[in-house]
Amino acid sequence: MDRKIAVVICFAFGLVMFAQYFSAHPLARSVNQTIADYWQIIFAFALIVGVVGFLNNNFQQVRKGQDRPFRLLSLAGFVIMPVLAMIWGIKTGTPFLWVFENVQVPMQSTVFALLAFFVASASYRGFRARSVPAAILLSAALIILVSRSFATGPLSDWLPGVAEWIRNNPSMAARRAILIGIGLGSLTTSLRVILGIERTWLGGGK
Amino acid sequence: MDIGTAVAGLLTLAILTFLYRDNPIYKMAESLLIGVSIGYVLVITWSSTLMSLLFTPLLTDGRVWLIVPLLFGLMMFGRFHKRTLFLSRFPIGVMIGSGAGIAIPVMLEQRTLKQMTATVMPLVTESGWPDLSALVVLLGVLTTLCYFYFSREHKGAFGIAARIGTWFLMIFFGTTFGYMVMSRMSTFIGRMEFLLTDFFQLTG
Amino acid sequence: MRLETRHWIFAGLFLLIGVTLVSGIKLDLPVSPDTQRMYDLIEKLPDGSVLLVSFDHEASSLPEIQPIARALLRHGFEHKLRLVGLALMAEGTAIGYRLMCETAEEFDAEYGTDYVFLGFRPQYIAAILSMGESIKATFPEDYLGRPYDSLALMRPLGNYSDVAGVLSIADGSFTTHWMEYGGRYKLKVLAGVTAAMVTTYDPYLASGQMQAMVSGLRGAAEYETLIDRIGGGARGMLAQTSAHLYVILLVILGNVSYFLKRRRAN
Repeated sequence: MDRKIAVVICFAFGLVMFAQYFSAHPLARSVNQTIADYWQIIFAFALIVGVVGFLNNNFQQVRKGQDRPFRLLSLAGFVIMPVLAMIWGIKTGTPFLWVFENVQVPMQSTVFALLAFFVASASYRGFRARSVPAAILLSAALIILVSRSFATGPLSDWLPGVAEWIRNNPSMAARRAILIGIGLGSLTTSLRVILGIERTWLGGGK
Repeated sequence: MDIGTAVAGLLTLAILTFLYRDNPIYKMAESLLIGVSIGYVLVITWSSTLMSLLFTPLLTDGRVWLIVPLLFGLMMFGRFHKRTLFLSRFPIGVMIGSGAGIAIPVMLEQRTLKQMTATVMPLVTESGWPDLSALVVLLGVLTTLCYFYFSREHKGAFGIAARIGTWFLMIFFGTTFGYMVMSRMSTFIGRMEFLLTDFFQLTG
Repeated sequence: MRLETRHWIFAGLFLLIGVTLVSGIKLDLPVSPDTQRMYDLIEKLPDGSVLLVSFDHEASSLPEIQPIARALLRHGFEHKLRLVGLALMAEGTAIGYRLMCETAEEFDAEYGTDYVFLGFRPQYIAAILSMGESIKATFPEDYLGRPYDSLALMRPLGNYSDVAGVLSIADGSFTTHWMEYGGRYKLKVLAGVTAAMVTTYDPYLASGQMQAMVSGLRGAAEYETLIDRIGGGARGMLAQTSAHLYVILLVILGNVSYFLKRRRAN
């Protein structure tokens, strides 16, 4: 029964959001605004549910003794942010932003920077012209890289133009076809969801 | 060097130790990062969204109809118990339904039709001659779409078109790889600049 | 301590970037048409135009995205645009707020009249749709909890029809949502994106759904040249160029060894 109610709610909200798109009437605009606001509030709660899930999981692991020091460090990191925000606020110059800027940002961007090394390693080990399509891929990548590498010299006169043409024509065409495919796919999936044909979002359980 | 730079520098080095192999120093830094970033999301979501969009208008301005999204939001917590799991399906229904409803016209108009229109406009230049670049784009879009059409076997003329489509795709992947290399290197250069300039103070 | 091939590749990259950064050599780069287009577009906006600046990125891409954002904000403040910041990703919130405050200080811009930071909204599609109806209803308060009507810059702003456009600073596909869901309200979209996203946005640039795009550290360096203010982009250009050449060299070496092995096997 609850599944049917959820499908009906999904259908009702889907139909209303679809219909209001075609209307400039103030009532339609107001409905759009209200649903968008509700959507944001519910989504914010969904984020908090994720946070609670993280806490749950970490406490369980600590209790089991799995990776205890690391889990405790995660929990300490988690607790410190709301505490700092509650005491000093979130303006510039507050301890909350200090931790964000000197702990979170450097680590997160360095984790991402590690990819530079793996890209370099993959370029040596996996980027090979084994077939015609692979050779085309390789050539396109090299032209783009070389074109963005020289400020002056004989190559800089014509190569950037060639690279721009490749980017704006054959490369863009393939991306556009992918976009059109995704667009049509999203459209049909959305229709299936609203009409209750696609119900995987209901998940398992009773 | 201020304490913030020292902390940021040491944590940066801790993460970089992963380049040798996974190790406890990296794991400690990673655990701290996970905790801090989730704590940050909680604070920002609470202070910058729930307070201003829900609690202040509801409790201070008396906008009682905000009880509806509040109830839907609270139902999300039903996920933590088998008996109340069903409650979380209702707010998920609101979000999925709203997203799907608005996606239909948007995907049709703003994505599919606009991209299709841009593919064929204009194919012929003012001089009356066909625009070769535009023809390449048209050929690329059509053949790539052929490649992604799996309801028909890729053989004969259709197979040739699909094969040409793969060449266009390879050019796209190659171009994307080139730009991706630039992007990843930029991120690393940014971190190295911080280490050399602010942390080790080797450059001005 | 056992070192493998990848460790040598890593060490080479470390050394190369380190040496080029320490050398302090700066490259003069030609400005690409994409960057020039963005500059011209901002230049054409009348003084006092309101531009939304949406920080749609995570902290992970900050080293690449910050020089782009800073250069664009500097141009905006210098050109007397009034900037309204917001974030559709949580981490973009604190970054965007600090960056706007820092850049505004360089130009003596005043909070509330020359710029405002509205804060974060978690559901990007809902936020974009909601702002299309009413910015005030979407952000009844700014980031620090000040009421919308207490901010002189915000008071006359109703919805997208009162702004010149949105500048999305993004490291992912969020700019797509501005174009597609904001397209309904005829919202003009400009973008400052990481280089990795360039090919994703090319069809939108070609179809006119995106007005202009600056991308990557190179784009930031070009923009810094245009506004005549050296920043993080220009400083890293020699290192960037060297890194490209290093990757090209690795690709060539990898292929040479592959073909030599294949020939030997045959």
